[in-house]
Amino acid sequence: MSRFFVDAWDPAYGASFEASPEGPSAQSNARVEADHELPALDWRAIGPRPGVSAPDVVLLVDGVRRIDAGVWTAEEDGASFPGLAASYAAGVVRCDLERGAAQLAGAKVERGLFTASPSATDVVAGNIRYPVHRVSGTGELAKLPAAVQGPLTALEVEVSATARTDHDLLVVDGQLRNRRHLPRTLGYIKSQHRQYLDARLTAVVIGLPPGHRSPVFRLGTAWDGWSWYLRLPVASGAPWAGIVRVECSAELAAEEAIHLADLSLVTLPRFASTPYKDPRAPQNLVPIAGLERLLRSRLGDARLLHRALTTAARTAATRAGR
Amino acid sequence: MTDEGFDSPGEGVGRVLGTADATPLQFWTAVSPGSYLQLDDVVVTRRELPDREPVTIAGVVTQVRARHEGAQFDSDVFAIADGTLPAQVQEAAEITTTRVDPEFYVPPQPGAVVHRAEGDARARALHFDRMERRIPMGTGRDGVPVYLNADFLDGTRGAHVSISGISGVATKTSFATFLLYSVFRSGQLGGDAVNAKALIFNVKGEDLLFLDHPNTRLDDATRAAYARLGLVADAFPDVRVYAPPRVGDSSGTPDVSSRLTGVDSFYWTLTEFCANRLLPYVFADADDERQQYTMVVHSVAAHLARYAQPADGGVSIDGTRLGTYGDLVDHIVEQLSDDETRGDWAGSAVGLGTVNAFARRLIGSKKDLARLIRGDLATRRPHSINTAESAQVTVVDLHNLPDRAQRFVVGVTLKSEFERKEKAGTARPLLFVVLDELNKYAPREGSSPIKEVLLDIAERGRSLGVILVGAQQTASEVERRIVTNSAIRVVGRLDPAEASRPEYGFLPPAQRQRALLAKPGTMFVNQPDIPVPLCLEFPFPAWATRVSEAGAAPSQTLRSITQSADPFAVVGSGGGTADDDIPF
Repeated sequence: MSRFFVDAWDPAYGASFEASPEGPSAQSNARVEADHELPALDWRAIGPRPGVSAPDVVLLVDGVRRIDAGVWTAEEDGASFPGLAASYAAGVVRCDLERGAAQLAGAKVERGLFTASPSATDVVAGNIRYPVHRVSGTGELAKLPAAVQGPLTALEVEVSATARTDHDLLVVDGQLRNRRHLPRTLGYIKSQHRQYLDARLTAVVIGLPPGHRSPVFRLGTAWDGWSWYLRLPVASGAPWAGIVRVECSAELAAEEAIHLADLSLVTLPRFASTPYKDPRAPQNLVPIAGLERLLRSRLGDARLLHRALTTAARTAATRAGR
Repeated sequence: MTDEGFDSPGEGVGRVLGTADATPLQFWTAVSPGSYLQLDDVVVTRRELPDREPVTIAGVVTQVRARHEGAQFDSDVFAIADGTLPAQVQEAAEITTTRVDPEFYVPPQPGAVVHRAEGDARARALHFDRMERRIPMGTGRDGVPVYLNADFLDGTRGAHVSISGISGVATKTSFATFLLYSVFRSGQLGGDAVNAKALIFNVKGEDLLFLDHPNTRLDDATRAAYARLGLVADAFPDVRVYAPPRVGDSSGTPDVSSRLTGVDSFYWTLTEFCANRLLPYVFADADDERQQYTMVVHSVAAHLARYAQPADGGVSIDGTRLGTYGDLVDHIVEQLSDDETRGDWAGSAVGLGTVNAFARRLIGSKKDLARLIRGDLATRRPHSINTAESAQVTVVDLHNLPDRAQRFVVGVTLKSEFERKEKAGTARPLLFVVLDELNKYAPREGSSPIKEVLLDIAERGRSLGVILVGAQQTASEVERRIVTNSAIRVVGRLDPAEASRPEYGFLPPAQRQRALLAKPGTMFVNQPDIPVPLCLEFPFPAWATRVSEAGAAPSQTLRSITQSADPFAVVGSGGGTADDDIPF
């Protein structure tokens, strides 16, 4: 790619905004096996099991992404492809609850130019490099943000592997997806888009008192696995307030999954955030919020990067003789 | 020179940070994990320039702060301490530049490594390398000596010291005496130090009467502190103490209670009082300054100088022999009340009210000054304060004199010393004058004979070798010209309201705050060639500051007052003892 142009508009303008209504909006048709911990007829809220205590070390993994600029390429034949210059970062925070110290145990920042343009090359803006990530298909602008998710998840997997010790617990923000092989790992799903359970079982879920969980059930979706609902400490009485879904690998035996569920019940509530500090409270856990802030600061200043990209585009245009 | 400065700068302690403006005169440094910087630490950094030699920027830490990075709310600290919220503790230090070398005022670049300055780099940062003669003043917070440039003390480039601070905790007089000790004993002034004299007025307690007694509480740690400064912990070797005569004692024994030996009494004879026109110094009270009768004072003083004849200890005026100060006062008042003689004494154009005001004041002074102005003691007995003929340190005890008498003694002594120096016409030997409560003798408002003498010393003393070491609780209440003429300004603990006054503008805000909590023995010293005041601690006095600390008295103080006169002088000759004194 010899030439490209940077959109003058702030990339955040008009970017998709995450509407997160409380509670699922769609019914899932995934197969559910609800009888593993308790018979489906006997479903009820489960409190903390005596004798189970939180692990000393909890690791939490999350990633952030930001679109630094929207770009348009100029092809030889006069055509043009949209592209996104994005920065993304993943990190793991190590909460040593015994010592009372939460530290960033590892973080990686990467950038990329996401476009379907066949002629695109890496963009070098000052001492910052945006390697090209070629998107298959027509590459229309609306689909490009989703393309950033792949490399970001890969980065999250990369950092998750570091800083593990025996008897710790790894909490991954979002679904486990291809991280199911990691030991003692929970997927933590903040917002419920789909309703997996039937009406009777859902009534048990929305009737959970704070600090209780539903029995473990097995999901048969594309990423099947063990799953359970948990209500974090919350003041609001709304049906889905403070409800999160936690999942773990399907390769585990039912007993192991139940043990992890008990562990999650004594571990996660203490990380719950307070509403006046976090608009996504209580589901957005305190360490995750802190981690996201740290990671965002590591992405670099958005205006500075936008300016660097604009300068790089102008330099490329000059070199091409325009 | 610059390269030498950066060859051995000491360990790196942090980097210049870029979230706050870095300027050539002040910048912030982020402190590396595992390192620390405290207030007053000396640091050095360097700036590379494209077309010239690198610039070394040195400074002292004037503020330090620590904060949680990653915390948004105050309550986040609990989550952080609980181990749920990741955050980093970051310390930062504000550096105030003391030296830029070569003088090329560019800011240090964010990211530049900041080193703790040690050894030569520290001396260079604090300009000690440019001082040809360095007088140790104490140790910095890092335990290394800090120095005073002697050029700004002995009159070469500046003179006078102004010490301010709350009474009791600011240790003003202790610092003044330590400074004198350092001047005399550090050897930095060479031959000048041997011949230099000091005149110290003791205004409170008998604190300064034991300068020549070793301190029995001196321990090895203090001796080591003196040794670090290149000094020997010892008492002042050559001290002479003067005290006023006891009230109502016809033999004139000195009025001291704790120090029993080696104290001489001082007084003025009536002849001296008349001949030297000392009368104006009787009228040196705060109220006197605004009165109308100064004309009468001068005219009476002139009359006394003209007509008073020495007469057997006392004076004789118009054939009347006057044997005491009281007699003299009564005589003057009598003459002024008489219509026939009033014109001769007070001048013709003076109203009766003014004369009466003068007379009232004069009568009021009888009680205070009768013991200092004598007609009944031997004229030739040594009784005057003269630093040239006295020991290296002359202590004049004023503490049990009433206010009017204190002013009289200070005024007359300073005047005669200054006149003597003026006549000598040379700045050497130096004379250090230590005077506490300067705000009393040279207040900001009004004028008095003493203030005139002090102003003279402040403005011309530098060339005449008279160095004023003035101490006061509040520099804002001292005549501005005296404060501004002081090259060296010292501050101990300050009163909060006082610290905000413009007289202390040389203190950066952080130091001004610290001066409110300065503990005894901690002083902030500002000298002309270092842009930031240095915080220092001076060692505990090696000499006794009260009778309970006093060790054995030095042998020469055991001599009696009569022995200090020369026993071999021929009786009746000018320098000998009077006929009625025992000649040996």
